[in-house]
Amino acid sequence: MSIATEVAQEFDAGVVAREQVSLWRDGWQRLRRNRLALAATIFLAFLALVCVVTFFWTPYPPSVFVGNPYAGPSLAHPFGLDEYGRDMLSRMMVGAQISMAVGLGCAVIAVVVGVSLGLLAGYLRGWVDSVISTAINIFYSFPTILMALILYIVIGPSIINIMVAISLTVWMDMARLVRGQTLSIREREYVEAARASGARTGRIMLGHVLPNSLGPIIVQATYIIPSAILTEAFLSFLGVGIPPPTPDWGNILGTDGLPAIRFAPHILLPTAILLSVTLLAFNFLGDGLRDAFDPRQKR
Amino acid sequence: MSADSGGMGQMPGSGSPLLEVKGLSTHFFTEDGEVRAVRDVSFQLYPGETLGIVGESGCGKSVTALSILRLVQRPGKVVSGQILFHGRDLLELSREEMRRVRGRDIAMIFQDPLSALNPVLRIGYQVDEAMHAHDKVPRNQVAARSVHLLDTVRVPDASRRVRDYPHQFSGGMRQRAMIAMGLANRPELLIADEPTTALDVTVQAQILDLLREMNRETGTSIILITHNLGVVAGLCSRVIVMYAGEIVEEGPIEQIFENPQHPYTWALLRSIPRIDFARHDRLRSIEGLPPDLIALPRGCKFHPRCPFRVERCLTDEPSLQTVKGGQRAACWVTMKRAYEEMGAADIIDTRPGAASGVHPPGFTLPPFGAADGGGPTGPSEVAAP
Repeated sequence: MSIATEVAQEFDAGVVAREQVSLWRDGWQRLRRNRLALAATIFLAFLALVCVVTFFWTPYPPSVFVGNPYAGPSLAHPFGLDEYGRDMLSRMMVGAQISMAVGLGCAVIAVVVGVSLGLLAGYLRGWVDSVISTAINIFYSFPTILMALILYIVIGPSIINIMVAISLTVWMDMARLVRGQTLSIREREYVEAARASGARTGRIMLGHVLPNSLGPIIVQATYIIPSAILTEAFLSFLGVGIPPPTPDWGNILGTDGLPAIRFAPHILLPTAILLSVTLLAFNFLGDGLRDAFDPRQKR
Repeated sequence: MSADSGGMGQMPGSGSPLLEVKGLSTHFFTEDGEVRAVRDVSFQLYPGETLGIVGESGCGKSVTALSILRLVQRPGKVVSGQILFHGRDLLELSREEMRRVRGRDIAMIFQDPLSALNPVLRIGYQVDEAMHAHDKVPRNQVAARSVHLLDTVRVPDASRRVRDYPHQFSGGMRQRAMIAMGLANRPELLIADEPTTALDVTVQAQILDLLREMNRETGTSIILITHNLGVVAGLCSRVIVMYAGEIVEEGPIEQIFENPQHPYTWALLRSIPRIDFARHDRLRSIEGLPPDLIALPRGCKFHPRCPFRVERCLTDEPSLQTVKGGQRAACWVTMKRAYEEMGAADIIDTRPGAASGVHPPGFTLPPFGAADGGGPTGPSEVAAP
């Protein structure tokens, strides 16, 4: 080995001593600097904690008469009681559980469906792409609420079905996004190198293309959650969502709160505010993640 | 890598060829027309041999390599020819059969190791992947072999560095990691597409040393694609010169360097800066630009830039003819005649047709030096050794 080689190797070895910052830690550090996103994260963490607690404990059973109907807030019932004398705090907690479950469930379904179809369309191109892109356009052409409504009526009421129905209206954005990402990533040299090393197509899609589009996928998923929560609340508001007496934010607003808005606004207002703040928090988090994953925003 | 040091660098010509490319043509069907990137290319490669393919950018070197591995993407297509690997035509294989050849029997390393390594995956994972794609290396030995391979290509502290990401490697180390990936399955043929171009000169030398060593120790044949004649001289025993999608000259490295017969090879070699040339000499470039591959000129494809062209060059296309043992050139004139009849040894004016006085109808060459001031047109992309 020549002296030059040795010197070069020492140099090589020296370059490395730099601090290792992984993509995730880097992203988290940048997210933390964004105050709105940080506040949103804290709020959503709190909401998640409430949802977990609700599994084991609520102040009162949510669907049982516990006091005077329409009674206002008191020490025993901080958010008052509804038209059947049920505790509003307990109902909001269970409602939160269901809304979050629907939001996350829809996001999971939309991610799985959208990412798979997007990868296939973008990587294989040709007729596969034509079929998937046409399907995306057809689904876009339906009014979202109407389609969810029809699907839901056809497949019948249950929390799983409502997730499926809503997912079918939100997967297209994800599929389009992933298809676009895949079309650009498949032309990268490392994909060609992987092909040259004999890697199988599935392996290239999942091992090379997917990890490189993870950032935008996570951001997009964060935007899917609030839109799914809103759609679910709206369906329940219309009376075609989660069947009573199980509470969710939509039927608290529509079935219980709206008829009593003039004389017992305490039923509707806190839930409406909670819903809005939750949607806002998800959107702020999405914006924060988008900026955190965007290398051009690096400071 | 002592276990697989089977073939010592065999001499070309011994036994049957490992790779035999016959009449390969690859065209790209673009909206502007059919780009005939590679036309009727034929060559042979014997086990253990190191073959260089040189030429300017866009002369079809890389497309030839990608065609061998059947990695040419739409709108490109291999339109004719045979690629016989151990006598088996790769163009006839099914997709799955071809996948099993890639990375296992024939591996490829790329020009820019930073873009050829996936930025979000660890180095070790990527070296493993090349082995996981094939069953040549037992699964439980893959991780250990990755470390061993990186060690072999002299990545320092390999057992720790397998967990690094590409951006934590220096340029030279990335290229070594690429070579480790290429050698992972002990391929019989390694195609290196401009492996040193993105690296600085000292690191280039190390990478070439490494390739030479791998060739000697494992008997892996190497096709080295480069525009750098110095790199070819340092590694290859035989060289192919390509111009505008065709082979214009091929032969043993010493013969080509000492006695080039095609004017293009001659001009390429003349354009290398030499330490023994007088300092005031202008670097001699090749006048003009390579032809448009959609609308190719008639006759010899080099005639629009050739100072030695004769009437025949404008209309008839020359084919490869043996000029001397093992050396073939596609030229009606050849440098032997150019030296004897056109005074090529002392030529200064290398503009097209300048030495022979042959021009297409209606074309007159302005007097030499008249419009000199803009400097050479169309710099050729040939770097110093």
